[in-house]
Amino acid sequence: MAELVHLDRAVARRILGGDEAAFRDLFDRFFPRLYRFALARVPGDPDTARDIVQQTFCRAIERLDTYRGEATLYTWFCQICRNVVADHYRRNSRSGSRVVLLEDLPDARAVLESFAAPEADEPETGVLREQVHRIVEATLDALPGRYGEALEWKYIDGLSVREIAQRLSLGEKAAESLLTRARESFREAIAGII
Amino acid sequence: MKPDTDIVEMLIRSAGRRAEPPADAHGQVFAAAHASFRAKIQGRRRAWILRASAAAALVVAVALVVRWAPPGVPQGKIAQVSRIVGEVELATADGWQPLTEPRSRLAAGSRVRTQAAGRVALTLGGGESLRLAARTEVMLDAPGRLYVQAGTIYVDSGERPSAARIEVVTPAGTARDVGTQFELHVEGAALRLRVREGLVMLDRGGRSLAGRAGEQLTVDGLGSVTRASISPTDPAWHWAEAVASMPDMDGKPASALIAWVARETGRRLQYESPIVEQRAAAVILHGDIRHLAPLEALEAMLATTDLRVELDGDTMEIRSRTVETR
Repeated sequence: MAELVHLDRAVARRILGGDEAAFRDLFDRFFPRLYRFALARVPGDPDTARDIVQQTFCRAIERLDTYRGEATLYTWFCQICRNVVADHYRRNSRSGSRVVLLEDLPDARAVLESFAAPEADEPETGVLREQVHRIVEATLDALPGRYGEALEWKYIDGLSVREIAQRLSLGEKAAESLLTRARESFREAIAGII
Repeated sequence: MKPDTDIVEMLIRSAGRRAEPPADAHGQVFAAAHASFRAKIQGRRRAWILRASAAAALVVAVALVVRWAPPGVPQGKIAQVSRIVGEVELATADGWQPLTEPRSRLAAGSRVRTQAAGRVALTLGGGESLRLAARTEVMLDAPGRLYVQAGTIYVDSGERPSAARIEVVTPAGTARDVGTQFELHVEGAALRLRVREGLVMLDRGGRSLAGRAGEQLTVDGLGSVTRASISPTDPAWHWAEAVASMPDMDGKPASALIAWVARETGRRLQYESPIVEQRAAAVILHGDIRHLAPLEALEAMLATTDLRVELDGDTMEIRSRTVETR
């Protein structure tokens, strides 16, 4: 984590120095993740999710020189996004209907267990599965570097380690080691939630 | 639950691939975020210069500040609408409103978009022509810089290689012209660049690519580049010709219209003989033919003279209708 934060501080410095490529790289990495982050908090409202992400980027860039590296840059962006979401609900006086995310539920472990259980017909199972889907998505988004993509290539696309190594321009051993670290990070992140 | 060693695989497989955000959201958010980035950098530079000049004021005249200060955010109008075809809209405080008034002046920060059958031509501050195809949205950020959020644009920056450059920022990369005519199509993180004349530099992800006259570059969402060739008279340019805004030709020699049409249609101009060229220069135009497409306008004009136009591949030749041309 310390190494990541160190790298993130360097990224922030490059962006503040006017490095266009660093800005683009950060945007490309963060935009889809923040969009999903926002959409989970305003479900079924993609236009509002887009506006929230837009405000998040503008606010974060404006305050980037206050980033001190206490957390990863993505975590810092997520915190700003949470504040923008809170502003949105305040403005629209919809605090009563605010979305409660799975991370906030005390019985999140039970939800995960139900997800692993055989398919059931109860309607609430579908809701729980949707929540678990979102939490897996959020966990993958929160993983550092290209861990999330590597895990998707491995378990969804069924790519071999060699193919993943090619996509990442790495040797096979390095790719295998990256996958191991990615699995470990995913497991730790999930454990942190439940 | 399955053993802990399988939980990662089980959860990821069951959840499936993460959903991708819509491409138009990507474009819109990028434009706003990039504008914030630019403003931040300019603000920091201004602040740095002010600090530096304050320190230097002990020994150096204040004039230094003026000399070193970067250009501020431009004020006032930076473009003028020159032709509107179909449904075109302008973003206002009340949302998108129809843009119907040719010659409207647009300020920095203006956002313009075209609907399915809409096209529009704008003249930028340096005299450059910017044209938007259907389903296109741009933001005029500052003199010489615009954002293309989605769709297809055509830029003709004139024949002056030393003229101020146009910078076209898109979610998929930034294009900078070097005195040229080019088309840029943006779709999410992918883009297609077609260069009709001159040279365009394309910056993307730290790489710089050169697009030369007659080249088409396609960059996909992952950054892979494919090159192909495209003739300056390819039908792909027709949409831009159809929305071209003809300069006022009243009182001008026919040769001026001929040269403009040749450039607009991507053709090399030649005259059958020096005598024919002199005749074209001697004919003075009267009337308004600006509602016609370039070649139609030329043919309409030549029909009233003893000259005619002949198209042969990429060449446009002006000939005499009579045999005495030498």
